[in-house]
Amino acid sequence: MQARNIVVTLLLGLAIAAGLALALRNAGGPAEPLTATVLPVGNELPDFALLDQDGEPVDRRVFEGQWDVVFFGFTNCPDICPATMTVLGQAKRELAAQGREPLPRVVLVSVDPERDTPEAMARYIAYFGDGNLGLTGELDELRKLTDALGVFFQKAGGDDVAYGVDHSTVVLLIDPEGRLKALFTAPHDVTNLVHDLPLIMAAE
Amino acid sequence: MMPRLLVLCAFLAAAAGCDSPGGPPVVVANLVVTAPGAGMPMAAGYLEISNRSSEAIRINRVSSPEYGSVEMHETLIEDGVARMREIPVLEIAAGDTVVFERGGKHLMLMQPVGTPETVTLNFYSDEVLLLSINTEFAASFD
Repeated sequence: MQARNIVVTLLLGLAIAAGLALALRNAGGPAEPLTATVLPVGNELPDFALLDQDGEPVDRRVFEGQWDVVFFGFTNCPDICPATMTVLGQAKRELAAQGREPLPRVVLVSVDPERDTPEAMARYIAYFGDGNLGLTGELDELRKLTDALGVFFQKAGGDDVAYGVDHSTVVLLIDPEGRLKALFTAPHDVTNLVHDLPLIMAAE
Repeated sequence: MMPRLLVLCAFLAAAAGCDSPGGPPVVVANLVVTAPGAGMPMAAGYLEISNRSSEAIRINRVSSPEYGSVEMHETLIEDGVARMREIPVLEIAAGDTVVFERGGKHLMLMQPVGTPETVTLNFYSDEVLLLSINTEFAASFD
C-alpha cells in the first residue's frame, strides 16, 4: 500500500511538473519578428551629403536620435512607391493608436534625384503623414548611401523626361544611433510591421 | 466608389465577336483612380476588365481627355527589385477577366490637363473604341 502511494505521488508530481512546463512554454519566451531580418550588430551608415525636403543639407547624422523606417522610391512612381508609403504610414498610425512608444519616422530617399527636387519631395511625403522625411540630392552622394546599404536603382525605359526607375523594394529600419538594424522585404504588410517594429525597437 | 458608365460600347460586337446578349462585351468593375495632385505628379488606375465576348480581345491603347498620356503598366518584383514595364497590348481571352491591382498591372495616367475632378478612360482595340468609362477619383491612396 505504501509503495502504491509512492507511485501515485510520483505520477501526480510528474503530471504537475509537466503541466507547469507546458504552461510556461505557452506563456512564451520572447516573441520573434514575423518578417523582419534583424542584424545582431547594427551597421554604421556611410558619410553622405543630401538635401531634406526643405532643401537643407543633411548628412548621416540626420538618422540619429530617432528610429527611422526608410524606403527608396521616387515621386513619379505610380504604383509600388505610394503603396509602400501608404503601408508605412498606416503602420505608424496603428502603432500610435496602440499607444506604442517610440514611433518610427517614415523616410523616403529618392532614387530619381533628377526629377525629385526638395519641393517635390515635400509635397509627396506630406501626403502620407506628418513628420515624414524626404531625402534627395546629387546622384553620386545618393550612391554612397545606397551602395553601402545594398540598395539597387537604375533608370529604365522611357525618354529623358518620362522614364521609370527600377529600384529595391526593401524597407530598412535605422536605429537612433544611425545604424542599420533590420530590414523588411516586400510585400510589405501593416500587420507584420506593427508586430515586428515594437519588438525590434524595444530590444535595443 | 461606383464608376459612372458613360458609354458601354457596343460596336464592339464586331470587333470582339460579341455573343453576350443582354450585356456589353467588355465590362470594367472596381475601377479606382488615385487622386491627382497631393504631391503625386501622376495617377494610377486599378480595375477588373472582363471580356464577355466569344473571342479574345486586344487592348492596345487607353486614353483620357483629362491626361496627356495613359499607359498600361505592370510592376514586376524580381529579387527584391521593382521593375515597371509597359504592356503594349493586353490580350483578354474570351470569358476571361484581367485584374489591375497594386503591385501588379495598373494604368499610369500622366500629364494631367488642368485639375480634373473626374476622369474618363477610353479603351481601344486597334483604334476601335471598346469602352469608355468615367469615375471620380479615390479620396486617398489608402
